[in-house]
Amino acid sequence: MQLLRSYRLLVTWQALRKKNYLPLMMAVQTLFSLGIVLGYPLLFPTLDRTSIYLIATGAPAISMVSVGLVALPQTIGEQKAEGSLAYMRSLPVPRLAYLVADLTVWMAIVIPGVVLGVLVGAWRFGLELQVSPLVVPAVLMVALTATCVGYAIASILPYMLTVVITQAIVVFVFMFSPLTFLPDKLPAWFEAIHSVLPIQAMGEVTRGTIAPNEFGLPLGAFLTLAVWCFLGFGVTYAAMSRRG
Amino acid sequence: MLLQIEELTKVYRTGVRANDGISLAIGEGEVFGLLGHNGAGKTTLVNQVVGLLKPTSGSIRIDGRDMVADPGLARRLCSFQAQAQVPIDGLTPRQAIDLLGQLRGTARTEVERRRERLIDALDLGAWQDEDAARLSGGVKRLVAFAMAAVAPGRVVMLDEPTNDVDPVRRRLLWRQVRTLADHGAAVLLVTHNVIEAERSVDRLAILDEGRVIAEGTPAGLKGRLGAALRLELVLDPDASEIPASPFGLSAVPVGNRVMVGVPMDAAGQAVAWAESLKHAGSVEEFTLGPATLEDVYVALVGGAEARPAQVEEVFDATAA
Repeated sequence: MQLLRSYRLLVTWQALRKKNYLPLMMAVQTLFSLGIVLGYPLLFPTLDRTSIYLIATGAPAISMVSVGLVALPQTIGEQKAEGSLAYMRSLPVPRLAYLVADLTVWMAIVIPGVVLGVLVGAWRFGLELQVSPLVVPAVLMVALTATCVGYAIASILPYMLTVVITQAIVVFVFMFSPLTFLPDKLPAWFEAIHSVLPIQAMGEVTRGTIAPNEFGLPLGAFLTLAVWCFLGFGVTYAAMSRRG
Repeated sequence: MLLQIEELTKVYRTGVRANDGISLAIGEGEVFGLLGHNGAGKTTLVNQVVGLLKPTSGSIRIDGRDMVADPGLARRLCSFQAQAQVPIDGLTPRQAIDLLGQLRGTARTEVERRRERLIDALDLGAWQDEDAARLSGGVKRLVAFAMAAVAPGRVVMLDEPTNDVDPVRRRLLWRQVRTLADHGAAVLLVTHNVIEAERSVDRLAILDEGRVIAEGTPAGLKGRLGAALRLELVLDPDASEIPASPFGLSAVPVGNRVMVGVPMDAAGQAVAWAESLKHAGSVEEFTLGPATLEDVYVALVGGAEARPAQVEEVFDATAA
């Protein structure tokens, strides 16, 4: 009961804190998606059908990963550095309620960007997507994993290191992650690394449910996401509960 | 005593000993000041009470219950105004105070009633529906105080509550601090503003390098100084040495000033002595007034040049 009451009040608090931030975030995510679906055809004027679908479904995946693994850890890192996270931790609320409330608000920030990303892709390439009903749990799973892992990065690393790592993640996600291309384009050793990291699985789950007629939906990807989600949440929860 | 801290020591992983065997006891209805320089260990102490930091050794008890073993209970029993600004940008003061009150378990209608009273008492009405992102630092601190006061715990800890607050509202705030104590809370007030502390606290402790170096009522501590009056000398910039006090009490240098303790019956003698220094050109001007808590504080932890021999000297003289 106390958990639910705290959760509701904390969601209100965190949503109000981010309300000015949400339109900006949506604009940036839309620009991301626009950049990808408009930019890639400039680089590669002739795109085959698979590539078009990869780009159209990769844009929303990149959008989720960028918020979860870049914007979120930077924001949490800032809150840690300025002491506001410590203030929130001093409140008489269960840690679980605080963490789940904050993740809920971050997910709410992530999701509109996904919808916009899909719409922008479908519009640019004139696609008629046969979106699977599984898209809802799939997108929620991807968004939750991205936010949990991002939260864990900020929780365990000092702020400056978080900034550096997240900058590296931007390059890694845009250039070297199989979100807008298939993993077999990568060297075998790099493909092996991606097979255990969560980013490839995020791409597979997203495209497998947004364009199920074009791509399969590997169950292993769900499992990979579940493991990373659990790990991210566990690390964050432990860091939140820890007394220095 | 409601809050009982015994032999509290905190050594950070970096090896810094921020608290070193601190023992304090604060009763219901008492406003207790914790004074000290930046880095004296005040915030470390408060963060341990509220369960953000784990003591290396020692105990913290509220109402006899072990707070180190149960940090969740510590957060429920303590309300806290942190030194950092509260994260309320995007919220109005009204929303922020209401949310905090409800998060502390008080019913919404009761929270609203108390919030209205606090906003009136702190004269915050003009800003109550403004986005906190647009508020000045001082107004935000008052809102942070109201958040700590709307549904207070048994112990209320206020870390530098008056920073950036204008002089008129500071008075309003001190009145509310007293109201909290009058309603039975033990108030632990962290500050380096000695002048305000003298007027506002019942008892205080002075912390230096993680240790309590003096504790008592403001009057009691001033009594320990052994001087009812203070003579403040402003040195001539060319003066080569600090004048030696003729009253058996030390002369404590602070920048280009020297504070000299003067017994009540030596007031005339002190003025004559200061006049002679002025004539000799070693002193530009002087003032004689009642000794303040600041004099005690300066004597104890004053300029770095005044420590530690100076501290011993002052209290040796007192004991003599």
